[in-house]
Amino acid sequence: MQYFFSVIDDTAGLATPDEMAAIDAFNDRLVAEGHWVFAGGLESPSTATVVDNRGGEALFTDGPFLESKEHLAGFWVLQAADLDEALKLAAEGSKACNRKVEVRPFHGG
Amino acid sequence: MVASLTRRFGDLDIAEEAAAEAFATAVERWPADGVPPNPGAWLTTTANRKAIDRIRRENKRDGKQMEARLLYDDDPPEPLGAIGDERLRLIFTCCHPALAMQTRVALTLRMVGGLTVPEIARAFLVPESTMEKRITRAKGKIKAARIPYRVPSAEDLPARISGVLTVLFLVFNEGYLATGPGTDPVRHDLTAEAIRLTRLIRALMPRDGEVAGLLALMLLTEARRTARVSAGGELVALGEQDRGAWDGALIAEGHRLVRERLAARVAPGRYQILAAIAAVHTSARDARDTDWLQVVALYDLLVQLDPSPIVALNRAIAVGELDGPEVALAAVDRLEDTLAGYHAYHAARADLLRRLGRSQKSRAAYDKAIELAGNTAETAYLTRRRDQLG
Repeated sequence: MQYFFSVIDDTAGLATPDEMAAIDAFNDRLVAEGHWVFAGGLESPSTATVVDNRGGEALFTDGPFLESKEHLAGFWVLQAADLDEALKLAAEGSKACNRKVEVRPFHGG
Repeated sequence: MVASLTRRFGDLDIAEEAAAEAFATAVERWPADGVPPNPGAWLTTTANRKAIDRIRRENKRDGKQMEARLLYDDDPPEPLGAIGDERLRLIFTCCHPALAMQTRVALTLRMVGGLTVPEIARAFLVPESTMEKRITRAKGKIKAARIPYRVPSAEDLPARISGVLTVLFLVFNEGYLATGPGTDPVRHDLTAEAIRLTRLIRALMPRDGEVAGLLALMLLTEARRTARVSAGGELVALGEQDRGAWDGALIAEGHRLVRERLAARVAPGRYQILAAIAAVHTSARDARDTDWLQVVALYDLLVQLDPSPIVALNRAIAVGELDGPEVALAAVDRLEDTLAGYHAYHAARADLLRRLGRSQKSRAAYDKAIELAGNTAETAYLTRRRDQLG
């Protein structure tokens, strides 16, 4: 079963060298233990563009879709047997990147 | 039975519905056909069949896999010993840390306690639709996020048991604080339900100290229920209660549990200490015979485990019984910052000020306590005390 792990950030800064090292070590373990599907760090929300093509013409908006104190800084997509396992991974991920992590299941299990 | 069905089908909704249908069929058929030799097994087999039927009818996407598992998994109905195991799994699932506390409470009462949604809604004073949504959402999350249906591993167990006990204690307190003539009787049933569920956990985990401690605490508290509220619906303080009205059987059982934990010679947890304090109180035939030295010693232990201001407040009150109201007041006043919004803090101050003859300050404290107090029995008691100041 796959879960989406969102890294929630409320600072403007990127990961410190210590945090990067911890994240790298964590990622290596995820690969070795078969949890890894995909992951990445995101550029700041100010680099985002929102595209709305529901109407007649595609509209482009500069900036993130949600202006808020907290934003998505990165993510993991991981394979876990159940929520207990996913939460354990999230706890380690949260410690490694020193931020809050949201765990959400993908549709269709 | 819901527990074993949930294990088989991984879906609380299907389990509930199948169980209900099986019972309905039994009610229909047994009077005519006669009760089968093993009613439990009959019900389980019938419920299993109905669950399979529903899965087939709904043609669920993963129904085929489920059906395959069922054919593979065609074990005979659970022997009685394993049923307890199933119920443990259900309790731990309902009390999972990924669910909000109020959700855990509602789900446990519904799935393990068997209370109806209207009953639970009334008990917690929320609209039925709110409670219905809360429970539906929780079941949905258990399924979609795949909260596993199992007893936690040995390393996770202590934290998870603690979570279950918190839920049960919350249920108990909700029931116990329901006092006064206007109270919905359902809330009285909550204490009985909390005790029943704690007994269940105790039967399933007979060696766990905190489980025993919580059960003892509940029994020793429940024993004093009728003495706690006067005929006029007013709260009666511990020192003024008619101790003859206490339930001797519950007290005896509570004391036995406390003695058992003392004999175990294991460092006591929070509930065991609270139970021991309750045991000291309930050992005194008269309020004046209370061994306050013991009570303070136990609070000293508790403060180390639980440095919360409420524990500090209760300890200060006990110290007051030994060292006088002046000393107690000084200790209580130090808690002003953290407890200013708590009615019991002001009530404690009011009582100490009264004993020191400082009527005006006492009156002001009673006013504050009355303003903050939650239930009518408590308010009536505080009002009377304040008015007695003259």
